[in-house]
Amino acid sequence: MAARRMARVSSVVALLALLVLTACSAAPQAIAPTEPPVQPPTVPAAAAPPTTVPAAPTEQTVSSEPILIGVSGPLTGQNAQYGAQWKKGFDLALDQINRDGGINGRPLQYLFEDTQSDPKQTVAVAQKFVNDPRIVIELGDFASPASMAASSIYERAGLVQFGFTNSHPDFTKGGEYMWSNSISQADNAPLLANYAVTDLGLRRLAVLHLNTDWGRTTTDLFVAAVKARGGEVVAVEGYLPEEKDFRSTLTRVRDANPDGLVLISYYADGALITQQVRTTGLTQPIVASGSIYSPKFLELAGEAANGVYTNTNFFPEEDREEVRTFVTAFKAKYGEEPDSFAAGAYDTMILVYHVIKQAGPDRKAIRDTLATIKGVPSVIYGTVQFDPATRRISGPRNINLVIKDGTYTVWDGTLPASQ
Amino acid sequence: MTSWLDHTVNGLIIGNIYALIAVGLALIFGVSNLINFAHGSVYMIGAYTGWVCVAAIGTPLPLTLLGVVVGCAALGILIERFGLRPLQGAPRIAPLLATIGIGLVLEQIAQLIFSPDPRALPSQLPAWRLPLGSGSIGALDLFIAAVGVVSTAVLYGFLRFTHLGWAVRATAQDRDAALQMGIDVHRVNQVVFAIASALGGLSGVLVGMYFNNIFPAMGFQATLKGFVAELIGGVGSVPGAVAGSLLLGLIESYGVALLGTSYRNLFAFLILIAVLVWRPNGIFSSTRQVPPEPLTGTFIAPSKPVHVPRWAYAAATAIFLALPLIWRDSYIIQTLTNAWLYGMLALSLTLVAGTTGQMSLGHAGLLAIGGYASALLALDLGVPVPLALLLAGFITAALGTLLIFPAFRLRGHYVAIATLAIGEIVGLVILNWEGLTRGPIGVVGIPPLEFFGLPLYDTSALYWVSFTIMVLLALLQWRLTQYHLGRALRAIREDDVAARAFGISLNRYKGLAFAFSGFVAGLSGAITAHMYSYINHETFNTQISLLALTMIILGGMGNIFGAIVGAVALIGLPEMFRAVAEYRILLYGIVLLLLVRFRPQGLMGTV
Repeated sequence: MAARRMARVSSVVALLALLVLTACSAAPQAIAPTEPPVQPPTVPAAAAPPTTVPAAPTEQTVSSEPILIGVSGPLTGQNAQYGAQWKKGFDLALDQINRDGGINGRPLQYLFEDTQSDPKQTVAVAQKFVNDPRIVIELGDFASPASMAASSIYERAGLVQFGFTNSHPDFTKGGEYMWSNSISQADNAPLLANYAVTDLGLRRLAVLHLNTDWGRTTTDLFVAAVKARGGEVVAVEGYLPEEKDFRSTLTRVRDANPDGLVLISYYADGALITQQVRTTGLTQPIVASGSIYSPKFLELAGEAANGVYTNTNFFPEEDREEVRTFVTAFKAKYGEEPDSFAAGAYDTMILVYHVIKQAGPDRKAIRDTLATIKGVPSVIYGTVQFDPATRRISGPRNINLVIKDGTYTVWDGTLPASQ
Repeated sequence: MTSWLDHTVNGLIIGNIYALIAVGLALIFGVSNLINFAHGSVYMIGAYTGWVCVAAIGTPLPLTLLGVVVGCAALGILIERFGLRPLQGAPRIAPLLATIGIGLVLEQIAQLIFSPDPRALPSQLPAWRLPLGSGSIGALDLFIAAVGVVSTAVLYGFLRFTHLGWAVRATAQDRDAALQMGIDVHRVNQVVFAIASALGGLSGVLVGMYFNNIFPAMGFQATLKGFVAELIGGVGSVPGAVAGSLLLGLIESYGVALLGTSYRNLFAFLILIAVLVWRPNGIFSSTRQVPPEPLTGTFIAPSKPVHVPRWAYAAATAIFLALPLIWRDSYIIQTLTNAWLYGMLALSLTLVAGTTGQMSLGHAGLLAIGGYASALLALDLGVPVPLALLLAGFITAALGTLLIFPAFRLRGHYVAIATLAIGEIVGLVILNWEGLTRGPIGVVGIPPLEFFGLPLYDTSALYWVSFTIMVLLALLQWRLTQYHLGRALRAIREDDVAARAFGISLNRYKGLAFAFSGFVAGLSGAITAHMYSYINHETFNTQISLLALTMIILGGMGNIFGAIVGAVALIGLPEMFRAVAEYRILLYGIVLLLLVRFRPQGLMGTV
């Protein structure tokens, strides 16, 4: 009996050892494979990143070692879908960059470490990245609690933490090495207020917002902006990200008798609310923040999506070269429409490319170059330039849209009819 | 006034949906006395099976539902046969851990096959809607209600009037007696899992159609609400689960009407605590006494703990103290620092759950209290950090014990659910009490740990601080549980009636255990807050409570050294599996299942 038990225990130990071994031997695969420098026939020639940035002096070492970017983000867990979108954006950008020879002949690659957007894992990953001399800049993490827990580690090691989805107002205050091209809500919220109050003429607004740091910051800025434009916010309802049922909330909102509903939401929860608005008997127009912009919103909200107003920083049909290039290549590679998370990831990788090209693969030089770089083409901003004091970018593109017959179309100035 | 009608309709609609989940949970809980954490995953698999039928094959509704029912029933049988039956003789806690592992594996598989992106699951019912109040209800609402009522009626009839149903009820009442009467309890369990899983899958697909939205992680929240509904209605009672669900829906709806959306879950969990305290059998039961759950003595099977000689402890301590000097890899040091901080959490949990037998699923709440207390003391009142840490420990001890006090009269699984609710309540209060906690924006710029004015930024310094504190606390806990106090606490665990007969005051000793436990967890949370420099209400979430429980079961309940081993293993494993990227949590789940299967009493054995 005892011998059998011993045998069992030892078999478990052996199995564990085997698992660890397989894990270790698989290590090199963790680096995202980049496409060989053969031009994929599906990508049009225009896809080459425009070279408006003056070529700066860089190291003239003839090396073909890849230059590595560390990515800390969710590949499993509650936020895994966003990590999956990031990968699509990154891979597309890298295809184009490395096809054109990378950075002075060295391919640009990323090392994606899954953190589940969990702070205890982001701090460990941060230590891993700062110790890895191959890594010249870090991107992520996704949510603020996870990103900001790791900031002090990056700051002390002097490795740029580029939080491209971190809109928390205090993220870049974490130190000299915290940078972000996430769209500042101080920019976006007034634009949304403009659309709702000034353009659409809705005076009494009810706001439903995700009760997270992002949703709350946006809502506070939005409410102030509405008041400044002579509007009135008659109800503010914060909901938890895991909420699915909004009927009671909507009944409460209806009792406040608003002219219009404003959603500060992501696409999945925004779609749920949009669906339930109509079944609760509300007829008011819905204006949603640009973060709902995704083909998934149309799919999940179905019929109810029609008539929803939104303004977005990224619109695939916008007639600009950067946008055309990105959207055509994205559709060719993945057979689907990109959303704003993929666009953000793509934009970030292109920006990082230009920065490293100018600064060389050096952590400190990369930080300094971020402060001075100008004119990098961007899907979301047109061109990118940081404010060295806030370490953020301002002035995103802004396009007013309305959903018609299940597609996003540019708003033609028609006022909502239902009131 | 019409709004109240609308709120009532809204509450009944969502209650209707909770009912589908709660019925399945009630069935399993009633028969096998098992909190089935895998039920949420079966629910999710049901939704995806439905999606495959509708979107990929294009089956009509009856066939879709049939496919889901058959598929999920088969899955339930598999789970029972290969996941739980091998653990028959094992301590009662092992199957619980197994269900956590199974849930994790199923969720990861779904994520790998279907991608983590949410998908639309279009309803196959006609789109007409019936105006009701100022809103309307659709065909699907009525269909869901019909499914709920019909399945409850069929189950009721099955349990009441068929031989197999009698066997199920007999097994639920007394498994051993049923076995002696010639009932094949394995078959009964199998049937129960098949029926419950079929119902779970059915609710998954219907809820998926209702919201037109399915995603791999959809199960957890759904199960949480299912549990709450089930407990309100009365554990193990199928009609009670339905009534409890409707009531929960109504209460939530009225709660939103009165106070606003962000108070919704707070309302749900407070009601749960109130019900557990005043009518632990559920509001529809006639007795006010907790049923004599056959848990005493069997919950944690006595096993011989692995003997570790004292010199080995001393040597391990010396090696780990010297480690940052030898192995200068700050990634390893950071990971181990995390392990020590979780080690403290595990120490804290193993004292109440292992030694005292009060299973807590809300320990993350204690971390949050400690973290916020220390951060706010240091930031808002300018208290020096070492003093803030100490105060945070005491505040957590006091506040934690006070919060859990209403649950002291509960036993077994009821304590687990009550503490789960308390943990959620702590998080929701932090979210809503903006004046104190800054709400969802969180606390920014928490100062780093310091030692007599010298800030400890260095990774190794943090490592030494957490390791030393953990070792000191472990020694203290060992010393305390070695003699009189430990014997009294273990007596409560083994048989609280006998313990009381021997003059052990249950409340005082439970209070002592939770206070010490709160102090340790509070300290861990406080150090974590200073290390992260930023925390908000999401930093210490329910997943952490589950992780802590997994650690102590894995290490061996009540085993102090085991708690630390469990923490190192469960913090270390996902890091070791990094290389396999998306597959690492799947691998982690499989390893967990294997460990439970072959070492159900924990790595170091229970004490």
